[in-house]
Amino acid sequence: VNPPSELNMRTLEEVQATLQIAKLKEEDLQKTVHCLSFGENVSSADYCLVELDDTLCKHIEAGQSLVIRGDKDEHAVLCSGDQTYDLKIADTSNLLLFVPGCKTPDQLTNSQDSCQVVHTPIWGFCNSYWELRKRRPKLKKLTKLLMENPYEGPAVGGQYTMPDLLERIQASEEEIKIHLETIHACQIDGYWRVLDFDYEMKLLGHVTQLVDSESWSFNKVSLQTSLEELAPLEPKEMIEHCLNCYGKRYTENDKVFYALHEDKVCRGIALMLLQNAVKFNLREFQEVWQQSVPEGMSTRLDQLKSVALVDRMSRPETICLLRVEDLSEDTLERFNHLFTLREKWTEEDITPYIQDLCGEKQTTGALLTKYARSSTQNGIKVFNSRRPLAT
Amino acid sequence: MVQIVVRGSVDGSSAPEWLLVELQGEVVSRHNSGLAGNVMGDLLYTKEGVPLLIVGHHILYGKQVKLEKHFAVLTKRYDRLQDGNGVDDDVTQAPMETEQSDSTSKSYYVSAIIRRKLIFKTRPKPIITNVPKKV
Repeated sequence: VNPPSELNMRTLEEVQATLQIAKLKEEDLQKTVHCLSFGENVSSADYCLVELDDTLCKHIEAGQSLVIRGDKDEHAVLCSGDQTYDLKIADTSNLLLFVPGCKTPDQLTNSQDSCQVVHTPIWGFCNSYWELRKRRPKLKKLTKLLMENPYEGPAVGGQYTMPDLLERIQASEEEIKIHLETIHACQIDGYWRVLDFDYEMKLLGHVTQLVDSESWSFNKVSLQTSLEELAPLEPKEMIEHCLNCYGKRYTENDKVFYALHEDKVCRGIALMLLQNAVKFNLREFQEVWQQSVPEGMSTRLDQLKSVALVDRMSRPETICLLRVEDLSEDTLERFNHLFTLREKWTEEDITPYIQDLCGEKQTTGALLTKYARSSTQNGIKVFNSRRPLAT
Repeated sequence: MVQIVVRGSVDGSSAPEWLLVELQGEVVSRHNSGLAGNVMGDLLYTKEGVPLLIVGHHILYGKQVKLEKHFAVLTKRYDRLQDGNGVDDDVTQAPMETEQSDSTSKSYYVSAIIRRKLIFKTRPKPIITNVPKKV
């Protein structure tokens, strides 16, 4: 092939000579020839290629930003407003060239009479790219940070604002907000706070006692009266926060009411009772529990899925506190821990404790297949560890 | 932990679409002088729209593919931070020497979106030249 002329730009004659040598007939070809050459900045610029799904493309096109959040000890993640992705490098054995000015046949006008040479610089190249894979956000650290300084009263201030949290948690802002709501956190003076558990129970206790003493239906708790009656005891914002956590707000005749959520209230009270000892006699617990909840509410063991574990094998039957939030975020560690606590689990008992580990489109059944071994005991399917564990 | 922002563009405009050309193997500069500025080859299309690439002494036949997952070309950017004033004029080159590196923040912006590629996978056919044609 002929040496390139000055400035490394090929002329039409050179191109036509090449075609002739290559035995390609001009009449078989479209009239535009792109002469590809490497641009000046090809080796110097800092760039990379990232695979984007439809959602992220639309995000970018709409002018929204993405944020890469990198922890020194862990792999970096990429976050949109509401989703977290793992960043994984994919090596290909191929060379990928990025060519800005290159047209495809459907874009060529072909209106010119003769062959036309278009000098087309290659802007960059690489042989690997970043793959994005959706993942569960890492939120355990969020709870841990807020538990450094739980709210027990206005005396001590908070440490973390939302920007502070975004700098420390590998999750999207929306995922963080959802988790804050789940753990009953509230914003005080711009700082996010989680409530000390006993303090939260104290607030709930004030509310339920007021419902009792006013003989209200627990579906119609007056905000105004609650604030008036309980203000001497606790800050108004905290009373309202408690109502927001344990009830559903609505308006009737311009007045604000809350319908207390039976399951949430019963669960909260159960947690309060279960904290006092390692294990309880199941029957005794159930009696005390039912007596402790507001008039008209019914306690049910299924309200305690993922927060308490019932042992039906022991005599007498027992119940103890076991909260999924207190367990490891890592799948293997979680399974090891669960199997250390109890050698064999039924699917019904273990599912609440592995539900949160499921990735996109993954089922608890798939997790059990992967991380546990099943067998049949007394006609019931049970799961145990794949490896021997010290119990 | 570090946060690096990835923006759609430097100035709010929408990112252009570029084409990806995928080749098997490596392209090496003939004279080991680096690639910048060098010709790579000629890209042509047959009347039927089949892409051909002539690289050195070879012809490669390829095809056009619509990508299932699009790519974004991300370019790193270093912004010089002024005391409390936020971001200064953009600096797209590598960061200044160490004494300034504390006051630069790294971010990426999308230089382009890639939705289609030309992939050349067939074994290159050598071009047999007996006599170089004089120009």
